Amino acid sequence: MALSALDRRLLDLVQEGLPLVSRPFKALGEELGLSEEEVLERLKRFEQSGIVRHLGASVDSRRLGFVTTLCAVAVPPTEAEKVAQQIAALPEVTHCYLRRHRFNIWFTLVARDYAQVEEILQLLQQKFGVEPRHFPATKMFKLRATFRLSCVEDKHRRG
Amino acid sequence: MVDLSPFEKKLIALVSQGIPLVARPYHVLAQRLGCTEKEVIATLKKLLSKKIIRRFGATVRQNRSGYQGNVMVAWKVPAERLDEVGNFCARLHFVTHCYVRQTSPDWPYNFYTMVHAADEKECKELVTNLAKELKLKDYVLLFTEKEIVRKTRPYFPELLEKQT
Repeated sequence: MALSALDRRLLDLVQEGLPLVSRPFKALGEELGLSEEEVLERLKRFEQSGIVRHLGASVDSRRLGFVTTLCAVAVPPTEAEKVAQQIAALPEVTHCYLRRHRFNIWFTLVARDYAQVEEILQLLQQKFGVEPRHFPATKMFKLRATFRLSCVEDKHRRG
Repeated sequence: MVDLSPFEKKLIALVSQGIPLVARPYHVLAQRLGCTEKEVIATLKKLLSKKIIRRFGATVRQNRSGYQGNVMVAWKVPAERLDEVGNFCARLHFVTHCYVRQTSPDWPYNFYTMVHAADEKECKELVTNLAKELKLKDYVLLFTEKEIVRKTRPYFPELLEKQT
């Protein structure tokens, strides 16, 4: 799906935040010179085409008392996708990727506590004969989940 | 960990799943929760200011919007340099995630960056230059072959079942 300059500006704005007012899409439209209906139509189109994966709250799971960790497993390449799909289906798994390395499946877990992390990893060990490792974060320097779209070509910018 | 009221938990359960694309989404949430639109808006503001909600808005799939290349880089950084390296990488626009993590005996890498660029070639160049600049030699490029899933986990789903 081709994005117009206006689409990109709308995506930049709505990534920054949805206004916390009674009619948030009207407020967004006013900044862009679009009607409320036009903003809603465009956002529906972005959701249908998959450009927008989520519209809502990104919560800090740690502040809600959950623990998160990054896990890695090595499986035979021919089985990687099948195993990864089953790992991804667990409700506690929030990200799962095939990566080009001996450790070819990497996923993140958001669990109630580290005991639950161990339980899940043991389950995977029994089910797939893998030896999962996990690397909890000890310090976070940056987490930016937004992408500036109205200046994609400007890639060496710092910030 | 923070203390949340049952109402706050229910609201988090709903808005973490997503909000409806209608003219008055907070009104729809209010009807579902049996409160006023004003209460929904005020509580969302409070949860944002307490940083329990990190961001309230859209999340885009970057690979469908112009950033085709992305690589996770696992670095071995001397412990005494972690703050310097972490702060340096955090300022770079092409680095979106930057974490210090525990290691395991066969995995000595303690520092991770997610690097995004137009394509794989550019990712490699950015990482090579970064390694030179930081004088780090021991690192692994973990290119994304395929995204299997990116989702949010359900929060407090048990509180919502009674509502549906």
